[in-house]
Amino acid sequence: MLAKNQWLRWVLLAVAICLVGLYLFPVYWMYVTALKPDVETFRNPPTFWPHEPNFRVAEVWVQYRVGSYIRNSVIIALGTVAFVVTLGTGCAYVLARVRSVWMDVVLFIVLMMQVLPSSLMITPIFVAYSQIGLMDWPRTGVILAQAAKVLPLYIVLVRATFTQIPRELEEAALVDGNSRLGAFCFIAVPLARNGILVTAILIFMQSLGEYVYSRSLISDSAYQPATVGLQFLVGRTSSDWTGIMTYAAIYVTPILILFVALQRKIVSGLTSGALK
Amino acid sequence: MLRFNRVFRDGGGFDSTLVMLALGYLVVFSAFPLVYNLVMSFQNVDLFTLASFDRPFVGFDNYKAVIGDPAFVPILQNTALFVALSVFLQLSIGFALALFFQLEFPGASWLRGLFLAGWVLPGLVAGALWGWILAGDFGVLNHVLQQLGLSSGKIFWLSDPEVSLYSIIIANVWLGIPFNMILLSVGLAAIPDDVYEAAALDGASRLHRFLTITLPLMRAQLGAVISLGVIFTLQQFDLFAALTQGGPSNSSNVLQYWAWQMSFQEYRIGNGSVISVLMILFVVFVAYFYIRSTRNEHAG
Repeated sequence: MLAKNQWLRWVLLAVAICLVGLYLFPVYWMYVTALKPDVETFRNPPTFWPHEPNFRVAEVWVQYRVGSYIRNSVIIALGTVAFVVTLGTGCAYVLARVRSVWMDVVLFIVLMMQVLPSSLMITPIFVAYSQIGLMDWPRTGVILAQAAKVLPLYIVLVRATFTQIPRELEEAALVDGNSRLGAFCFIAVPLARNGILVTAILIFMQSLGEYVYSRSLISDSAYQPATVGLQFLVGRTSSDWTGIMTYAAIYVTPILILFVALQRKIVSGLTSGALK
Repeated sequence: MLRFNRVFRDGGGFDSTLVMLALGYLVVFSAFPLVYNLVMSFQNVDLFTLASFDRPFVGFDNYKAVIGDPAFVPILQNTALFVALSVFLQLSIGFALALFFQLEFPGASWLRGLFLAGWVLPGLVAGALWGWILAGDFGVLNHVLQQLGLSSGKIFWLSDPEVSLYSIIIANVWLGIPFNMILLSVGLAAIPDDVYEAAALDGASRLHRFLTITLPLMRAQLGAVISLGVIFTLQQFDLFAALTQGGPSNSSNVLQYWAWQMSFQEYRIGNGSVISVLMILFVVFVAYFYIRSTRNEHAG
């Protein structure tokens, strides 16, 4: 119907590009501000293109100790992913393969655990950590709590991947004398590796932006992640907006590159899990 | 030993071990805090009794203190407005975009995916970006509004108690649009084309087709997306931390941020637990509807 009118297709494309541009304006504005010198940032009317581009990356990196913050973010995110992949993959596999009342109960519990807000769970976690002395290892504490927060999402998404793998392959392996453990490790996991990898990256990106637990559990700024560092900057009254935007740009550019590279896989992984 | 090996490697033991590994972890780090939270809501917990295992029970005193607090009712109203407006706007804008990107043109699905770039940003970064856009004196939004003639003076988005909550809603809607749009797109793509073609042959208008075909067929999806929207909106914390810290004078405060302030700024941890208990009950109630709506879709 639409093919009749080639023009319409191009008009729609133009409208679509405008919509995307309008939506992504805040991201564009971050990069533009980061490139402006201070004088231009506070010019009225604002300029929509940096006239005298000025790279402050190196200066901001040192002044706001961005390196230390980002290193902590990466440590927390990697630790979380390691925990979640180790604990969740097997559970997702069993939930995809075994059908029973018990498995329905488990799936229900997992889905329920997915919705608990971190800002409400942090109070009991903080008190319990204080009692058992886990506050002395604050980053480990954050990793443990964050892993519990994202484990259900990982299980749900990876389970969807496992259900797409034909079970005949594993059955053939069992007939050939493999154990179930062998069939899981050497047949199912390798076949599901793409889904596992994409989900792990999704969990990694989410944990890279974790804030509530880190803010509440880590008091020593040497162990704080980039979100907490950014919050302290934004919270100050005299705001160095070029510096803040440079900080934000340094922090999120790798995330955005990772996202654009894996866009298709992330979108399909996300949609398969959330509604099935 | 041989028998143990066989059960573990080939029988039900294998399944249970794998499930118990994850479930045990969730019990320790999610279910236990839930129960502990409930216990603390009946105890007197402050900085002095924090690390002790023997805290005095105070009955419903914490509940009375929270509900009797003069800030409670305004914050409850803020929370309701925050959730209702955010979910409504996310859903309607997301649905409109999903319908638009369903049309046939080059690059439609790739461009649609680009919207998720907003979703992958850490909430705190999104908050910082919006804080700069909404800034009263040098913010670009005020400039654009004045150029378009939509406002005469500068709006102090973050420090004016009349609008501070709305600025957080704007940022939250921005964050939530991609997720709504992508999930609804999946539902739209699942509706077979011939249904529409048959209706078009019968002379049904576009609007008529939308109301009689699209909406009814999307009912399960819409239910799931609305429940998820409510859940995610109630989880929103980072934007409050980055934009207004609940202020000025609680005008943009919501329950989930208030709970955190109670525990970590005022050290009234027992009171913080009370708010958490009440909120978690509500979230679990909504989650039940979400799970039910996805189940129905699965069966049908």
